Amino acid sequence: MQHSTIEKSIPLMAVLTLIMVSIGGLVEIVPLFFIKSTIEKVEGMRPYTPLELKGRDIYIREGCYNCHSQMIRPFRDETERYGHYSLAAESMYDHPFQWGSKRTGPDLARIGGKYSNEWHRAHMLKPQNVVRESVMPAYPWLQENELKFDDIEKRMKVLSMVGVPYTPDQMANAKQDLAAQASPTADGAGLTTRYGKKVPKADFDGKPEKLTELDALLAYLQMLGTLVDFSGQQAKAR
Amino acid sequence: MADNKDLDTTGHKWDDDEGFPLQEYNNPLPKWWLNSFYATIIWSVVYWVLYPAWPLPDGFTPGTLGTTMRGEYQKEMDEAKAKQKVFNDKLDKLSLKEISKDNQLLQFSISGGKALFGDNCAPCHGPAGIGVKAGGFPTLADDDWLFGGDLDTIQETITNGRNGQMPAHAKAAGGNFTDAQVDDLTQYVLSLSGKSTDKPAITRGDALFRGEAACTTCHGDKGNGSLKGTVNGEKPPQVGAPNLTDGIWLYGGDQKTVRESIAKGRMGEMPAWGAGIKESGRQLSALDIKKLTIYVHSLGGGQ
Repeated sequence: MQHSTIEKSIPLMAVLTLIMVSIGGLVEIVPLFFIKSTIEKVEGMRPYTPLELKGRDIYIREGCYNCHSQMIRPFRDETERYGHYSLAAESMYDHPFQWGSKRTGPDLARIGGKYSNEWHRAHMLKPQNVVRESVMPAYPWLQENELKFDDIEKRMKVLSMVGVPYTPDQMANAKQDLAAQASPTADGAGLTTRYGKKVPKADFDGKPEKLTELDALLAYLQMLGTLVDFSGQQAKAR
Repeated sequence: MADNKDLDTTGHKWDDDEGFPLQEYNNPLPKWWLNSFYATIIWSVVYWVLYPAWPLPDGFTPGTLGTTMRGEYQKEMDEAKAKQKVFNDKLDKLSLKEISKDNQLLQFSISGGKALFGDNCAPCHGPAGIGVKAGGFPTLADDDWLFGGDLDTIQETITNGRNGQMPAHAKAAGGNFTDAQVDDLTQYVLSLSGKSTDKPAITRGDALFRGEAACTTCHGDKGNGSLKGTVNGEKPPQVGAPNLTDGIWLYGGDQKTVRESIAKGRMGEMPAWGAGIKESGRQLSALDIKKLTIYVHSLGGGQ
């Protein structure tokens, strides 16, 4: 077919363009749905607890992703600072994922357990009180705002529709589990049976009498990157 | 312009109303450009052979070079390890004291420790351990220690972490004392560093301090802290109770803050860098902790 023939007929050119682009797209995207190794299986992943889930919502609401990534790339300068490089499986229950591509602040993929709750409280109240050169804005209202979680079951239900394996038991007890995780004195037996023994349970915001947005956000931050145990197994090179 | 017939055009003509039509030349593409284009096509075929390229139903074409992101990463890590091996091997074998006596190893540890400190420790302790504005995070660059500033204790602190254990005393916070008693205790504690002159309150607070409140158990008979103080001539349990007489305050030395410390208690937490956060793949190795120990010890307060 002559080049000029294609150039002179817009419908023909559109059809041929569509075919070309489709081939590229199909070859790149379709296999991802069938390849077994797209998401390698790892031990330890679990869906977020209700409190962590609310914290994640606040993380997104406050736009934390604008300055913080959650994706440690496999380079020495990244892993020496942030820890083991991120695995796809570690964000398989994230809808939407928070990988990000902008690092005004540090990567948070493995911030969990790195600093104490007390540090996080001081830091959210006024970051410059602990990190003097920080350009992060203050988030004092998180410690004031009462956490609203009437819709938590609905949120879990929607997530289960897109593949997060929340059980009916987990959804039914969502409110109870949420309150239990933010209180060191509450009975957390149900929470640990449903989400595992490693779930951090604490008065995250330093206000035992009040369940605030900071409780939720810190519960989320303190578990980031802690689910998969890298101490024994080294992910297989591929 | 009318005699353009000898030029090769695509045959398109626009705006021919006045005899000066717009026409489109049918020029060949420049040779160098075309050749580069063909070269990239050839290169892409070479690339498919050498590197991972085509997705397949159950994997992908791996390429003959065997290149993988993780393989490259491992190589990078191994190279760095090999470069530091000479020093690291020595650090592994020698004790902290021996390392601090060898000037070359000392410098190596301090520069390694400095990098580790910057990200892991500075958020709480400030750059080079000079402290931060917020209360509750000890300054490391002075010689006021809670658990001890010798090499072995620093190493222990970093590896296993520390937890503050100051209980709450006010009834409102779950303690056993009335607000007035907490006020008296506050006045007494302030008087230890010459900050209170309310004699009657001090006397009442003094009695509580060694009596009912049993502050002496951890802070010592004279409030000198678990490190420097004594209880009945013996060392108090090493729980990191601060020296209350030296005018150096962990949370703040004004009346309000001291009262809050007594009323609500303090549960400062130093994470365990050697073991506690191992599972996140970001724990510090024993070697890293050795470097950090040497670095922290060198900040000014090392004993």
